[in-house]
Amino acid sequence: MVKRRQILSGSAVGIASLASGLASPALAANDPIKIGYLPALTGPSSSTGIGITRGTELAVAEINAGGGINGRPIELIIRDTQSDPTKAVNAVAELTQRQRASIIWGPLNSGEALAATPLIARNNVPMLHPCWVDELIDVKKYPMSFRNAPTNTQVGGGANHYVMDVLKLKKVAVISDTTGYGTASVNTYVPMLRAKGAEVVYSNHVDAANPDLRPELMRMQAAGAEVIMPWSVNAGFLSRILNTRGAMGWDVPVVGQTTLGSGQTRALLEKPEFWNKVYSNNFRNCCYVDGRLPASAADYVERLKRARIQFGDTLLWWVANGWDGMHIMAEALKVAGTRAQDVVAYWQQVSRRPGVYGTITWNAEQHNGFLDDEVVMCEVNSLRDGAFNLAPGY
Amino acid sequence: MLESIVSYGLAVGAVYALIGITYNVMYSASRVFSFTAGMLGMLGGVLGAVFISRMGMNAALALVLVLACGAVLGMVTEVVTVRPVLKSIEQHLYVLSTLAFALMVQQVTAIEFGTEAQPFPVLVPLEAGLPGQKFWLPLLACAVTILGLELLYRRTLIGRAFLAIAEDSYAARALGLPETRLRLACYAIAGVIGALAGFTGAQMLLAYFGNQAILNFYGFVPVALGGMGSNRGAVVGGLALGLFQQAAAVLFGGLHAAIAVFVVFIVVLLLRPEGLAGAMTGRRV
Amino acid sequence: MNGVAWLPPRLAGSMPWLALGLVALLLPLFDDAYIGVIAQRAFIYWILSAGLNLLVGFAGQIAIGWVPMLTLGAYTTAVLTAGTVTEPWNPYLALAAGGVVGAVFGVIVGLPALRLRTFYFAMTTLGFATITTQVALAWKSVTGGGVGTPGPVFPWPFEPGWGFYYLCFLLAALATWMTANIGASRYGRALIALRDAEVAAEASGIAKPRLLVLIFLLAGALGGVAGGLFASLQSYITPDAFTFEMSVLFFIAILIGGRGSILGPVLGTIILTALPEFAAPLVQWSTFLYAALLLLIVLLIPGGLAALLDFSNRRPLAKHREILPRPGLLREVLGRSPTAQHLELRGIALHFGGVRAIDGLDLDIKGGEVHGLIGPNGSGKTTTLNVISGYYRPTAGALSLDGAILATEAPPRRAAHRIARTFQTPRLIGDVSVLANVMIGGTLDGRASFVEALLTLPRHRQDEVALRRAARQALAAVGLEALAEVRADRLQHSELRFMEIARALMLHPAFLLLDEPAAGLSAEEIRRLGALIKAISREGVAVLLVEHHADLIFDICDRVTVLNLGKVLAAGTPAEIRSHREVVSAYLGA
Repeated sequence: MVKRRQILSGSAVGIASLASGLASPALAANDPIKIGYLPALTGPSSSTGIGITRGTELAVAEINAGGGINGRPIELIIRDTQSDPTKAVNAVAELTQRQRASIIWGPLNSGEALAATPLIARNNVPMLHPCWVDELIDVKKYPMSFRNAPTNTQVGGGANHYVMDVLKLKKVAVISDTTGYGTASVNTYVPMLRAKGAEVVYSNHVDAANPDLRPELMRMQAAGAEVIMPWSVNAGFLSRILNTRGAMGWDVPVVGQTTLGSGQTRALLEKPEFWNKVYSNNFRNCCYVDGRLPASAADYVERLKRARIQFGDTLLWWVANGWDGMHIMAEALKVAGTRAQDVVAYWQQVSRRPGVYGTITWNAEQHNGFLDDEVVMCEVNSLRDGAFNLAPGY
Repeated sequence: MLESIVSYGLAVGAVYALIGITYNVMYSASRVFSFTAGMLGMLGGVLGAVFISRMGMNAALALVLVLACGAVLGMVTEVVTVRPVLKSIEQHLYVLSTLAFALMVQQVTAIEFGTEAQPFPVLVPLEAGLPGQKFWLPLLACAVTILGLELLYRRTLIGRAFLAIAEDSYAARALGLPETRLRLACYAIAGVIGALAGFTGAQMLLAYFGNQAILNFYGFVPVALGGMGSNRGAVVGGLALGLFQQAAAVLFGGLHAAIAVFVVFIVVLLLRPEGLAGAMTGRRV
Repeated sequence: MNGVAWLPPRLAGSMPWLALGLVALLLPLFDDAYIGVIAQRAFIYWILSAGLNLLVGFAGQIAIGWVPMLTLGAYTTAVLTAGTVTEPWNPYLALAAGGVVGAVFGVIVGLPALRLRTFYFAMTTLGFATITTQVALAWKSVTGGGVGTPGPVFPWPFEPGWGFYYLCFLLAALATWMTANIGASRYGRALIALRDAEVAAEASGIAKPRLLVLIFLLAGALGGVAGGLFASLQSYITPDAFTFEMSVLFFIAILIGGRGSILGPVLGTIILTALPEFAAPLVQWSTFLYAALLLLIVLLIPGGLAALLDFSNRRPLAKHREILPRPGLLREVLGRSPTAQHLELRGIALHFGGVRAIDGLDLDIKGGEVHGLIGPNGSGKTTTLNVISGYYRPTAGALSLDGAILATEAPPRRAAHRIARTFQTPRLIGDVSVLANVMIGGTLDGRASFVEALLTLPRHRQDEVALRRAARQALAAVGLEALAEVRADRLQHSELRFMEIARALMLHPAFLLLDEPAAGLSAEEIRRLGALIKAISREGVAVLLVEHHADLIFDICDRVTVLNLGKVLAAGTPAEIRSHREVVSAYLGA
């Protein structure tokens, strides 16, 4: 099912590619359908990739066990981008040109997706990814690119809604690390907050490696912040915010990025109670309400347990997103075939497709398909089996 | 705000000063600047976290073990990366050999320990409300190191031999001092000091493989400013650097602090290559 | 001999280049875009590494963080093309602007290297690499911050795909050609001399700051151009594409390839680019493996891959070699008779703290004479030479040349006054040929500018021919012509002493300062050395000879000065000195 990259000598690669170039393109009816997959499985932002890969591989296994796509198995070609955009660019060339993948799934991190998307578009290969950066979906520039996740605007909107409409707080401090994701988030959310009538008393990008965040938090406190909204996927950075808040004895709620609730962040806390009053983004379908998951997620968890897939050490919504994504691709290939235009045409009429992770609606003008009200906040200290309680107030 | 500048600035400055002394001790013994100074600092924190948090040792035992590891690594540095290239010191091959060794150790750390910064356990169980030990521990370590080195240099025979080597290794050898063994001992001492810097600074800087490059640079700045080989210069330079950096970080943000430190470093080097306090020495021909 | 850098392109030397070029030209026939992308990446990385190679491999500067030049070039090209700050530029013009920005910052980062030890420069690049990325992140209005900015798309004829491939190939070939030209020129030899024998380089008139600034400009420009291409290849650049690890890997690839070579680092860069694609499981260990390889190479074969491939220097040399100087050739070697005739030292004093190394010294060195300088250890003999050749600035007193006071100046300026010298311990460049070592001495005679050498224009080619001929003649005059092509570190100690004299002769010296040239020589060799020195002085050269061998001194010197504790104890003809009571009792010990 999964072909990992083999160790080939340079000359062997050259000959192999020459041979495949000369081979006739006629495909037997049961030849595998290739899907290229670009997770970051190693490097600093690999936890998302590891989680999504588990769901993706489970879906492929289920589909192939059920006879594949019209008799043809799915061949998932995984290329680890190592959280490095240059590796992602190399891998795109390989997947689109040499492997002739029918669809590309990923990249999963925004830094790599920003570099990979124009190249995939140049090669006219349909692409599905779960990255949040708004600029990644642009029907004119990248007509074959689709997203099965919310945009940054939706994610921030969910958090802003919780802060202002549910917690009724007005004075907000927004902080991020200096990564592409972090800076883009702050740049988008601060105007949104202001438009909603909030007073942004502090906003800054801070180097995630900065060991001492006390000056930043003191400035927030001095400015009268009633809530801290951190935007970063760096567990070390987020834990330092929480540790500093704890050490200062400042009882201020923290509302922000999903990684606030990751196991890694928890492992880095100086005291477990520093995780109280922390609310992170999550998705309605993957949250406990009164201790129970919604029906579709509960079914899915059963599936995962049957397939003996670990998910307690990652997040349920990552595993669910990978599983949803693979099924969305398989449905298009099954109904529309492998031609790029047909896949795109099929996806453009997907409407209110229910998923474990979320509901998707796409059309010719809009390749962002997530529903605003499925973006919610959860209580991070309620983490159990990779999922959380919905935050109080909903 | 001022309290944050002073407490954090002095503490991080003490760590820089200790790394600067680590550079100096190795330099005095061999005229070699070694990239392993930052590596020792990084490992002091990482090994401390491994011994205490992962293996459950008590803090005192962990400290002794960390310092022992530092001494061993110091000696390995001398034997593997310095001694073989010392005869052609003019070609500066030691820069490459020590860099290579430091990178190897760093990469093993990244793979075995992880690339995430890990918290460092609290060493001395104290009541809350007292000043944080993450601030006074590095300062204490710095003071102990300075006193220890002074005693060693002034009061012991072996310390005087170190000084003789630092002054003029040819003459020292002519006097019949066992130069090679003394150099090895100096590297062991440097290893202990570097590891101590990392261990005591880790609550603040965290146990993080990336600290190697940071400490290499910020530990070298006091040496460059204070004059190479001068421990007093390194301490003054280190504390000043810490305060300056933290003040800039608090007042203008961390990025500007990094740029400011870099600009000061370059400008001082251009205007006073021998450092603010030191004098250019060294026989060339 | 080290790789091809020192050879004029001969067929044997150009074979690897022809093979590499052919592969590069034929690669598009496979029409495999994946291989194409890897190859483009290798070309781009090499364009940066080509310049870095001159800096690291030739000049021996420890530039561990040169990726900022790539970053600067990439952002400059991308931002100008995108029109974020100005009207959109033509991508080709923007690429050139990237090169300019790279060159400017190359010099800025290099400034400390002009005056300071190697390690300081290593630290400067380390620090600069860190802040460049941080600035790229913070300067959102221009760089797009962490979200980044789209890379340039080059229009016809180098549009994305194979068109762009050829652009990268052409620029890589151009970078190779230019840096190989520099490597094989007197500039390249001067760089290696600064790396391995800085003191001797300065005594030959090589001014380190001027030369290094040129190299920083070139290396920065190539890094900037590579950056512009990199931005286009990536299609979108964010600061996290420019990792510090990348910096270290470029640096290591060059050293693994071999210092002072061009081909070695090319191979190193290709391996660096391609290996991670084909050996993915090893990727997380790649830094470790590279570092381990670097350590092994530094300790075992400092010459790198290039030295491993250098078969000509494996042949054993003849066991019993004789040095047979041919003083008859000296007239041709020294050429025109020296212009200056008389060097006067008056009241020279040099104090180190409380130590009076020289304490009021008068000395007259005249053309056509051999002047012996003797005295016990520590009496100030070598120090006197160092004052004359400009390594020390005297505390008091003056030097004058034919009556004109010499300003205090650095060794390279003294070389321009045709003051040449040898050293107590021979200063040699071990891993290049004897001929190349001797050619260093003639650096001042080159007329071609850096740009002429870069493009091998006619004047540069004439320079090279003339230098080579002169160096062979100088070697013949001292009796080493049979060893011209041998790597210098394979010579015996006595041969190195004569090689140093040959190098000094290349300066057409008016004054030749010899620091214990007979140390370590056999009696027969000392006799030949004496005859050679005598013959040199008879061509009008003023020779100042510091020596412990009393016989040699009294045989060949016209005048002798005896130093003790930094002061003149006695001066006069050999016969007078021989009978001087104090000298006999204090020094000659007869």
